[in-house]
Amino acid sequence: MESNENRIEPSMDTTVRRLPIEFTGSGSEYFRIWIVNLLLLLVTLGLYWPWAKVRRQRYFWGNTLVDGDPLGFHGDPRQMFKGWALVGVLFVLYNWASNFSAVAGLVAFVALAALWPALWRSSMAFRMGNTSWRGLRFRFVGSLRDAYLTHLPPFVVALPMVLLSFAIPDDPEQAPPDWVMGSIGVAFLLLVLTLPWLLWRMKAYQHRHYALGPLQTDFRASVGAFYLLAIKPFLLFAGVMGLIALYVVTSFGSAGALGGLLAGMMWVLPILVIGFWVLLFLGIGPWITTRLQNLVWTKTGNSQMRFISQLRFRDMLWLSIKNGLLIGITLGLYWPFAKVAMARLRLEAVYVRTITDMQALLAAEHERPAEAAGDAAGDFFGLDVGL
Amino acid sequence: MDASAPPTPQALTVRYFDGRSSHPHEVQASLGHGQLHLTGPGVDRTIEARRVQWPERTRRGPRVAQLPEGGSLQCDDGAAWDDWVRAAGHGESVVVRLQQSWRGVLASLLLLVAVSAAGYVWGLPWAARAVADRFPDSVENQIGDTVLVQVEEFVKPSQLSAQEQQAIEQAWQRVLRAHTAAQSARGVAVRPSRLLIRHSEDIGPNALALPGGTMLLTDDMARLLQHDTDVIAGVLAHELGHVQHRHGVRMLVQVGVLGFVTSTLWGDYSGVLATVPLWLGQAHYSREAEREADAYSVTVLRDAGLSPAVMMSLFERFALFQRCGDDLLKPAPAGSAPVCKTEPDTGTDEEEKGGFWGLGFASHPADEDRTAFFRDAAAR
Repeated sequence: MESNENRIEPSMDTTVRRLPIEFTGSGSEYFRIWIVNLLLLLVTLGLYWPWAKVRRQRYFWGNTLVDGDPLGFHGDPRQMFKGWALVGVLFVLYNWASNFSAVAGLVAFVALAALWPALWRSSMAFRMGNTSWRGLRFRFVGSLRDAYLTHLPPFVVALPMVLLSFAIPDDPEQAPPDWVMGSIGVAFLLLVLTLPWLLWRMKAYQHRHYALGPLQTDFRASVGAFYLLAIKPFLLFAGVMGLIALYVVTSFGSAGALGGLLAGMMWVLPILVIGFWVLLFLGIGPWITTRLQNLVWTKTGNSQMRFISQLRFRDMLWLSIKNGLLIGITLGLYWPFAKVAMARLRLEAVYVRTITDMQALLAAEHERPAEAAGDAAGDFFGLDVGL
Repeated sequence: MDASAPPTPQALTVRYFDGRSSHPHEVQASLGHGQLHLTGPGVDRTIEARRVQWPERTRRGPRVAQLPEGGSLQCDDGAAWDDWVRAAGHGESVVVRLQQSWRGVLASLLLLVAVSAAGYVWGLPWAARAVADRFPDSVENQIGDTVLVQVEEFVKPSQLSAQEQQAIEQAWQRVLRAHTAAQSARGVAVRPSRLLIRHSEDIGPNALALPGGTMLLTDDMARLLQHDTDVIAGVLAHELGHVQHRHGVRMLVQVGVLGFVTSTLWGDYSGVLATVPLWLGQAHYSREAEREADAYSVTVLRDAGLSPAVMMSLFERFALFQRCGDDLLKPAPAGSAPVCKTEPDTGTDEEEKGGFWGLGFASHPADEDRTAFFRDAAAR
């Protein structure tokens, strides 16, 4: 265009700069956006959803300031409506097919599984491609091939469980053959043991392919770090299950009769279930969120810049409890305030360390001409599917 | 436009990103005649204003306008930006005006509550009735067959003697014939139904209406009512009310739509929380359906020349059953008193009374209310 002479070459000095991330959104302002969105959703019977999502996303992006400058969201609600309708049709077809017959259900499952990696990638491409900072669009540069390769192991692990479930007879009176139950047990164990690795593959694919101008991120977290992170919640979960099992066995032993056990369980069981639920939502959930965010983002970057995430579990725990209580007391009206407070806590725990002059980034050479940039979201695989 | 010209009164100093570099340019932006002009050192652009994605007014955060061919304008002083846009005669959408005034938000909140309440009380039942009226019989029968197959798995053939079964069947057919004749005189068709008598250890004294017109009566119900065919006819008349009003299909529609709405409103935060209004709603609609069926049973009984008062003995027997339990169902020698051995309960137990929780979640109205309804109907 007309201002070629304004291009600035990347500076050569290597002083380390710290770019803060601030979140300036307010709960009361988002509350107002949320209420109006809800009203319009209700009177349009849900058809307003993409417009509501664009308003929300623009508010959250526009109040996320990186080094003082906000992110921009460019999503087109009409385009998002198409993606939303497509996914809706897929799920209706899937449900309908599984009601129709087991074979049709299997075919639908395979078809959905075959389409899933493409949809997953497209939603990331959509989100990145429609986000900008200082006039530059972000990009998601992961290939379709890699998206399929990333999903191959989860499918290989999950497929035996799906296939085996067809071997269970419909009649509940008839016990399924031992080999089926045994194989399902083995398949389930395999799934649990490989879960951290599968999660690492997903995160690695995502975090290796974010790009802005000439910068593309790399992901340096090891698989071992994911297993280390998974050990604590796994042990806690196993411990709680073990205690419940122990309680059941001992009460059964002492009472000596099923009646006594049931009577004892009548009021203990709900307390156990509620306690477990609270522990899961207010304790383990925030812990995993905290550790995963710190691990994943601190290991994201390249030789020029990297993210540092220092989210503290104490803050996260306190906020989760406060949000949960206030949402309960206000029958859900506190929800937008909770969402803003959570966004502020999680975003402001992150900053960017860089030796590049972030005011001198140039759009990537291969970036599409600006006029087509808006259309990038228009091709089929640029559809937003709300993931 | 000349870059060195003094800014016109409606010009605003903003930062301009050209879309190819992250370097900001300080420029003067002016808006007029549908055109946006940018002038500054080395920058001179004119853009059609309607092709710009303008930011919405918010209380906080910088304003960013996205330009059509990439690039953006940024202004950290939101108030100055809003004045500048307003001076150029750009209006705001209704949505933004609502969002930015507390009065508008309060009105939206009240409207949200009003629309939800109206939809819940009138809209949804009306829509469900409309769907049920147009629902193809063949599909309803198909659903009924599927449900029947599932029900048949936990019931066994009746253990009542052939005479006992025949007595119930004949008494009901007489009532049904009288009712059908009376209805056709009023120009209303009675939906086809059939009666099945089954033994069940799980559901105790009970009667069910399945989609498609199948009515199921348990052996224990006949025993509890001591084979009094008038009272049994009253129970079946109530079930016929469910068949006639197609409550099965209506419930499907109502719960489906309610589930969609509650998951939209609360599903963001917690799927478990979203099901609470669903339970409450389901129970509320179920109680409404029971009241409708009760009202219908009064018509049926009157048509057959029976008094609605027979239903009062149903609730008396139920109250007795709650105190005495299964003892009451054992065959007693003819003419002897009920075999209830348990002392009458003093009735201080909160759980027995239903209490606070029972009111919202119960699927049937309180027995006292229903007894009163039939007492009033019999008196009229």
